[in-house]
Amino acid sequence: MRVLLVDDEEELVATLAERLDMRDIDAAWATDYRTALAMIKEREFDIALLDVRMPEMNGLELKRLIEAQRPDMKFIFLTGHGSEEDFKACSAESGKEYYLIKPVQIEVLIAKLNEICQGQGERG
Amino acid sequence: MSSYHGKVDSLGLSFFGSMTASISHELKNALAIINENAGLLGDLVVLSEKGRPLDPERMKTISENIRRRVQSADDIVRRLNRFAHSANQPVVSAGIRDIFACMVALSERLATMKGVSLALAPFDEIEVQTLPFVIENLLWICLKNIFLLAGAEQRVVLGACREAGDIVVTLHCTPEIPVEQLASTVAAEGQPLIFFLRMQIQADPDGSSLRLRMPIKFIE
Repeated sequence: MRVLLVDDEEELVATLAERLDMRDIDAAWATDYRTALAMIKEREFDIALLDVRMPEMNGLELKRLIEAQRPDMKFIFLTGHGSEEDFKACSAESGKEYYLIKPVQIEVLIAKLNEICQGQGERG
Repeated sequence: MSSYHGKVDSLGLSFFGSMTASISHELKNALAIINENAGLLGDLVVLSEKGRPLDPERMKTISENIRRRVQSADDIVRRLNRFAHSANQPVVSAGIRDIFACMVALSERLATMKGVSLALAPFDEIEVQTLPFVIENLLWICLKNIFLLAGAEQRVVLGACREAGDIVVTLHCTPEIPVEQLASTVAAEGQPLIFFLRMQIQADPDGSSLRLRMPIKFIE
């Protein structure tokens, strides 16, 4: 499984990528939308894990740009928002996305990645 | 007057909600990073049990990252506490620079999201007799409207000076934004607060600053 992590907190994505690598998940990371889009052009990914709130471009906007280049990619949104209700509404509006709320336990993340890659499970 | 108090309270509640939501987001980020670093420490220990040697320098770095993020989370909570107390303070003697510093710290994350940088101009502290929360609320209305008008690499510098018996607060914007429009928007949205503080609001003739003039002593 090839995962792209995008979050403006470098320490978060770099550490998470290292932990996923330890579990044989091929993880790359970016801290801004430009780098993420450049990486998408150069490499194949199965899933992108996108922070919702980032400077310059939010995760929902970035998802649309990635999707234009890679229609088969799947997405998980990562949010720091305490309000699950808000994000469910946001998720419902944009259709088929999945989301996780920070901080997320790695076992939960991996289960979600597997679920999505295997096309199983419920949304949200 | 009582209806004004109601409007001031209503604006204050909305402001309090915006700030605490933003602060909770900052805390979530700090917790997420602490969580990943703690998880990484655990992962490295598990790997060492399987024969991979532990690198003491790496362990030190990760521990230091956790310590730094705990400190950052503590700073965020301290700001939240100071802000929460300002909401129930009566008229007090407060330094305008302290009020600015609090607002810059509270708004920094939201400013960064909009590509705006905030700074304080060098000026000597000025003591005012006021309700700090109401001033913070009005500054927030100014800042959030600047965020809406902001161009690329927008910078906002907050300053203050004495003029006669008043204090004049300036929000200097570079590059220039339509400050006349900003002044009108802030005057409309913050009207109950402006009335409450006996404030005058105007766009500076130089076209780059918003000026808020109010008495140094709050008039009941």
